[in-house]
This record gives sequence, structure tokens and C-alpha cells, in this order.
Amino acid sequence: MIQTLIQHPLSKTLFIFSLICTAIALLAVLLAPLLLPIIISFTLYALLEPISEIFERHGLSRNTSSLSVLLILVAIGGIGFSLILPNLTAQLSSLQAQLPVVWQTITTMGNNFSQHVVASLGLEMQSNGLTQHFFNQANDWGKTALVEGSNILISLSILLILVPIFTFFLIRDFRNFRNSLLDKLPNSSFEMGWLIYYRVAHQLQGYIRGIMIQSGIMSIITTIGFYSIGIESPFLLGLVAGVLNLIPYVGPLLATVLPILLALGHVPIDLWLVGAAISVILIAQIIDNIIVIPAVIANAVNLHPLVVIIGIIIFGNLFGFIGMVVAIPVISTMNIIYYGLHQGIKTRYDLKIKSKASA
Amino acid sequence: MSSQNPLWQNLFQHKKDRTSEVTDMWMSTPLFNKITKRECRDLVKTMHPRHYKKGELVFNSGDIGASIVLIRSGSIEIKAIDKLLAELVAGDFFGEIALIIDEPRTADAIACEDSELIFFLRSDLEEWVKRSPKSGAQFMLNIATVLAARLRHTNILLSLQNN
Repeated sequence: MIQTLIQHPLSKTLFIFSLICTAIALLAVLLAPLLLPIIISFTLYALLEPISEIFERHGLSRNTSSLSVLLILVAIGGIGFSLILPNLTAQLSSLQAQLPVVWQTITTMGNNFSQHVVASLGLEMQSNGLTQHFFNQANDWGKTALVEGSNILISLSILLILVPIFTFFLIRDFRNFRNSLLDKLPNSSFEMGWLIYYRVAHQLQGYIRGIMIQSGIMSIITTIGFYSIGIESPFLLGLVAGVLNLIPYVGPLLATVLPILLALGHVPIDLWLVGAAISVILIAQIIDNIIVIPAVIANAVNLHPLVVIIGIIIFGNLFGFIGMVVAIPVISTMNIIYYGLHQGIKTRYDLKIKSKASA
Repeated sequence: MSSQNPLWQNLFQHKKDRTSEVTDMWMSTPLFNKITKRECRDLVKTMHPRHYKKGELVFNSGDIGASIVLIRSGSIEIKAIDKLLAELVAGDFFGEIALIIDEPRTADAIACEDSELIFFLRSDLEEWVKRSPKSGAQFMLNIATVLAARLRHTNILLSLQNN
């Protein structure tokens, strides 16, 4: 009975799958301080690998093409930062200066609403304490975000050094490393291992390329939109909207918060601007859903929306913003590994049963 | 003289390395027709040599297939429903359908003796096609020719059986 249970494809799959998950989790814990540069480097690898292939196609060696890609990356990064960073810093400072006004306006709005309710309905809402608490909390979040922002700038400097180095070595050596690792598989599971790797790599590359293009398009559309309606810091807001778009379903909702708060910060309150800010995000989302997603992402990941939302919440809770961004590729990878393993193990099991029956 | 004296043999007789030997084996198959030896050699470097003991299963029919296999040494039996279809020796290749479509294997392959097999994976083929589209297209054409020839051969066998 126990023997049958152990031999059953499902229990065998679950056992190997758990081993793989444990190994990945251990590796993630060991590499925790380097996880962010590794994730970014893998993303860049997925994006830049085709360029390296073009160079190789024109006769350059792997070394030279990897180095050329690295130089292009550094050049684009350098030009981009020199162009964007001053503008971004100015907009960040302007946003920082504007935040107290925004909180003040929202507090006044809350108080006015409370007074209006008391005057018209005769109800005492006891909301002052609550509103105060909420806005104090929000203010604390804002301050924490700014402190976090300065920490991020320090981490960014480290990333700027590590990411190009990691990306260069990934482009140059990843294939060899992967080959030597997968060649260690036993003969019986060699092809299955490669096939699972191939499916995972194919889907991940498609997803990463798709989502980065989508994020870039969203940044451009929202920046243009925010600039057109005359809201402050359009470039920064567009950039934030693009980055938040990396998180499916939840990201676009979060992206509306900052523009709405900034629109509310105007004295007197400009409701047209609030509506226009929401419209920009909505229009960008419509373009994203109708044109961008079908064209660039399509069926890059085939997951149920509920799985996506629950995954984002769990990963976000465990690993913060990065967790929310990597939730989909990680779940999708696990999904492929599980089904690939199950398919392979089940085929072998069925054949064994069949040969036993015929004997 | 040279066979009796290994020193002289080693000095004056060029010994082929594994890559050159496998390259020559692939080049003598119809799959690398009109593809340069240099390109084939570069490709061979990405292939995966594996060793099988006598009686070891290379793959079962129904297994997930992802590669074409060249026999470098030893011999392989190809069976379907316990019927021997072919016995392949060094220089022969098998499993080419898996290079094209993501479908289960259609026959069993078992090592008749200790064998060294060279696996050329679909993922390696796709990477190569991206790097060298012209040669990749030629390789696809060659595979199509091989498959067409096998189909024709099967059709002839079937018609002979029916007659």
C-alpha cells in the first residue's frame, strides 16, 4: 500500500517538486543581499540576449559580442541617467515640497465634509479623531517613503556597479553554465530536464520582454497624458505608473493614487484636474488592454486571474514591492516545472504499468 | 612500424579530437548537407555527449522528446511494440521528429552495448537558427528531406505488405 503510494506519479512529482522548491528557496536565502541585482541582470539578459545574437550572427565571437552589448548598456544607461536624473531629482524635490500642502488640503476636505454632515443631517460622526489618525498615518508613510527613497538611492549606486558586471557574465557564460548544470542530470531525466528548462526559459523571456515593453509604453502614454493636463511632475508620475504597471491588476490601481493626491493638492480643489488625472490612467489602461497586451504579452503566462491576484498579495506580503513584481514569473515557472515533471513521471509510470500487465 | 611504435605514431599521426570526430560524423549525414564544416563544428561544441550502459533505455515510446541523437560509439536498437525496427551503429542518427515537434517519442531506443550518444537538442537548434538563419534554414530543409525519404520508405513497405 505504502509502496504504491510512494510509486504513484502524483506523490513522486510532489516530492521532486518540493525538493526543487526547497533548493530554490535556499538559494534565494543565501543570495538574499544580491537578489535584486541578480533579478535585474536576468531581466537585462532576457532583453539584451537577442542583440548579442545579432552580433554573433555578423561573425563576432561570444566574448566580443557580450562586451559590445555591455558597452551599449553602459552608454545608454549613462546617457539616460544624465538626461533623466536632473529632471527626476527636480520633480522629486517639487513633490516633496508639495506633499504637506496635499495633506493639508485633504485634511481640510475631510473636516469640511464632516461639518457638512453635521449641519445637514444633524449627525455627529466622531470622525475628527479618525481623520486625524488616518492623515497622521499617511504622513508617516510619506516620510517613511522619503527615507526609503534616500536608501534606494544608495542601493541604486551599488546596483549601477553590480548590474552591468552580472549582465556581462550572464550574456557571456550563462549558456555554458546552464549546459554543465543540466548535463549533470541522470540519463533517464536528461531530456525531460532540458524540455522543462526550455519551456520555462521560453515563457520567462517572452514575459520579461513583453512586460518591459508594456511598462515603457505605459510610462510614455501616462507622461504625455499628465503633461497635457498640466499636473505637476508629469515625468515622475509617468515613470511611477510605468513601474507599477509591472504588477498586474494591482499596479494600475496603485498608479492612480499619486496623481489623484497631487490633483487634490490644488487650492482651491480643481475637480477637473482630479477627473483628468483619473482619465489619463484609465485611457492608458484601455490602450494597454486593447493594443499593448495582445500585441506584446499575449499568452506569455497562462494563469488564472485569481491565482495572479492571490500570488501578488502573498509575494507582496513576503518580499514587498520586488515580491509583487516577480510573483507572476515565479508562479508561472513553478507551474511549468510541476506540470513538466508530472507529465514525464506519469508517462514512465503508465509504461511500467502497461509492460507489467503485458508480461 | 608506426603501429609497433606508439611514440612515432603519436608524433607523426594526427589524432582526431572528439569535436572533430563528431563533426565528421554529422557532416557525413544528409542533415548537414550544404552546411559548412566550420559551422557544424561550432554547433557540435554545444551538443551533449552522454554514456549508456548495455541494455540501458535511451527513451521509451511516449516519453517527451527534445532532441535528435547521433551514435558516436556502440549500437542502439529501435523497437516499437516489442518489434525490432532497426539496429543502428556508430554514425547513425535517430529521434529526428523530436527536433521539429513537441510530441512524445514514437518508438523505444535501447543500448545494445556500452554506447556514447551525442544529443542535439531542439533548444540548441533554435538558438543556432537565431544566430545563423541561413544555415538553420538549410538544416530544416535537410531534415524535411530526411523525413520525406523515411515517409516514402514507409509507404513503399506498407504497399508491399498490402500487395
